[in-house]
Amino acid sequence: MSVKKSGIKEQNKSASASLMKKNLRKFFNNKLAVVGLVVILVMVAACIVGALMHVDYNTPDLRNMKSAPSALHWFGTDTIGRDLFARVLYGGCYSILIGVFCAVASNIIGAALGAVAGYFGGKTDKIIVRISEVFQAFPQLVLVMMIVAIVNRRGLSNLLFIFVVTGWMTTFRMVRNEYLSLRGETYVKVCEAFGMSNSRIMFGQILPNVMTPIIVSTTTNVAFFILQEAALSFIGLGVADSTPTWGNILNAAKSVAVVTNQWWIWVFPGAAITLFVLAINFFGDGLRDVLDAKQQ
Amino acid sequence: MLKFILKKLLAMIPMLLLISMIVYFGLQATGIDPINFLVSPDVLSANAANVEALRESLGLNDPLIVQYFRWLGNVVTGNLGYSFDGSSIAATIAVRLPYTFELAGWSLLLSAVIGVGIGIISAIRQNGIIDYVGRVLAVLGQAVPQFLVGIILIQIFAIKLGWFPSANRVSPGAANPLADAFFHLFLPVLTLTIGMVAVLMRYARNTMLDVLNSDYIKTARSKGIPEWKVYLKHGFRNAMKPVLVIILFRIPMLVGGSVVIESVFSYPGIGLTMTNAITSGDYPVVLITTLIIAAAMLVCSFMVDVLNALLDPRVRLGE
Repeated sequence: MSVKKSGIKEQNKSASASLMKKNLRKFFNNKLAVVGLVVILVMVAACIVGALMHVDYNTPDLRNMKSAPSALHWFGTDTIGRDLFARVLYGGCYSILIGVFCAVASNIIGAALGAVAGYFGGKTDKIIVRISEVFQAFPQLVLVMMIVAIVNRRGLSNLLFIFVVTGWMTTFRMVRNEYLSLRGETYVKVCEAFGMSNSRIMFGQILPNVMTPIIVSTTTNVAFFILQEAALSFIGLGVADSTPTWGNILNAAKSVAVVTNQWWIWVFPGAAITLFVLAINFFGDGLRDVLDAKQQ
Repeated sequence: MLKFILKKLLAMIPMLLLISMIVYFGLQATGIDPINFLVSPDVLSANAANVEALRESLGLNDPLIVQYFRWLGNVVTGNLGYSFDGSSIAATIAVRLPYTFELAGWSLLLSAVIGVGIGIISAIRQNGIIDYVGRVLAVLGQAVPQFLVGIILIQIFAIKLGWFPSANRVSPGAANPLADAFFHLFLPVLTLTIGMVAVLMRYARNTMLDVLNSDYIKTARSKGIPEWKVYLKHGFRNAMKPVLVIILFRIPMLVGGSVVIESVFSYPGIGLTMTNAITSGDYPVVLITTLIIAAAMLVCSFMVDVLNALLDPRVRLGE
C-alpha cells in the first residue's frame, strides 16, 4: 500500500516537473516575452546598482544647468542642474517599487475580497460588490485625485496607500467570478463533506486553481500603476518633488520652454517609462500564453 | 424593459448621495478652513471676536451633518455655491463643462470610427500590412504615457511647425469661432484619440476575427454572396454589438485621460478646474467637479446596462 502511494506521489512529481519544463520551453519560444523579461531584468538591475552606488541625484551642478547630454552628464541636466542620468536611475527605483508594491498589494486585497464574496455569496457578496461599485463609479485617476485632495499631503506612503485602496476592483471582480463558478465543483463539495474549514477550502483548495489569472493580472498591473503614477506626478499631484520618480522628472515638461529647448529632460524619462511598460506588457502576454490552461 | 430602465435610474440616486457624502465629509476632514480664504491672517488674529461672528453667520459652527444637508439642498436647487476665490461655481462650470464635452465627445467619435475601421480592415486582411502596422501601434499606444504623446505632439505641431496653438480653448479676438475651436481642439483630441484607438482597434479586430471564423459566415460565402456583402452585412453587423458596449465602457478611461490631457494643453475644461482646485485646496470646487464626473460615469454605466439589456434579453431576465 505504502509503496503504491509513494509511486503515485513520484508520478505526480515527475508529471509536474515535465509540465514545468514544457511551460519553460513554451515561454522561451516566445521571443517577445523573453526580450521583455531581459529588458525588465536589465532595467531593474541598472536602477538597483545606481541606487547602491549612491549616484548623486540631488545636488545641482550649478555650472551646467540645462546642459545637453555630454560625457560629464550622460542624459544632460535638468532646469536646476541636477544630473538626469542619476535621476532616471533613482526614479526607476521608486517608479518600479510603486508599480510592484501596488500591484501585489492591491491584487492580494482584490483576491481575498473576491474569494470571500464569491465563496460565501449572499449578503456578504452583495455588500462587497456594492462597495466595489462605489469605487468604480469614478475613473480611477479621478478617484485617486479625490483621495489626494482628502489626504492633503504628498508623500510616497500616501501614494502607495491610495493606489492600493483604489486598485483592487478588477482583480476582485475576476476572482469573485472564478469562485462563483468553482464553488459548485464536486471537489469543493467533497472538502465540505470532509468538514474542512471554510478558510482552508477557500485558500488551500480553490485558490491554487485561480492563481494563474491572478499572477497574470499582477504582472500587467505593475505597468498600469507605473503609468498611473507618471500621470499623477505629471499633473503635480503625485509624490513630492524631492523624491524622484519617472513621472516627477517629466513634470518639468509641463512648461513649454522645457519642451521646446531641453528635449533631453522629457525624452529620457519618457523613453524609460515606455520601454519598461512595453517590456512588462510583452512579458505578461507571454506568461498568459504559457499559464492559461484554456489556450492549451 | 421600462421597469428595468426605471429600476436602474432609481438606483443611481442613492449612489450619487453616497458619493457626495463621502466626498463632502472626506474634504471636511482635511481641516482646510474656509475662513482663511475670506480674511487675511493678520486681520484674523486681531479680530478674533468678529471672526467668530462671521463664522456663526456663515453657519460654519453648525454640526457637519447640518452643513451637509444645507449644501445638498442648495446644489439640488441649482445653487452650486462659490469658489474660495469668490467666483460663482455655476458660472465657471457653465463655461467649462461644454469644453470638456467637446474634447471627450470628438475623441470618442473619432476613436470609435478610426479604431473600429482599422480593427475590421486588419481582421479582413489578417497578417496584411495594415494589420501588422495596426498591431505595432496598438502595443505602442498602450505603453507610451498619454501625456507624453501630448508633449510630443506639442513639440511637433505647435512648436516646430506652428500649425496649432499649444494651449487654451479660445484665442481672444478670433475672427471665426468655428475655425478657432477646430485649431484649439485638434491636438488634445488627437492625443486622446491615439490612446483610445490603440485599445478599440485590438478589440474590434479580435471580435471581427471571431465572427469571420463562425459557421454562418462560411454558409453565407458558400451561398455565393459577394465578399464585401459578407463582410458588411453578415460580419460587421454581428461584430458591432460587443464593440459598441466596449466603446461605452471606455468612457471612464476617456474622462480620466482628459483630466491629464487638459493639464498638458492647459485646456480649460472640468479636469483642469479640478486639478487646480485640488492643488490650491479649493474644496467647494473639488466637490462639485467630482460630483459632475461621478454623475457622468453613472449615466455611462446606466447606458451600458440598458444597451446590454437591449442586445441580450438574458440580462433582463436575470435581473
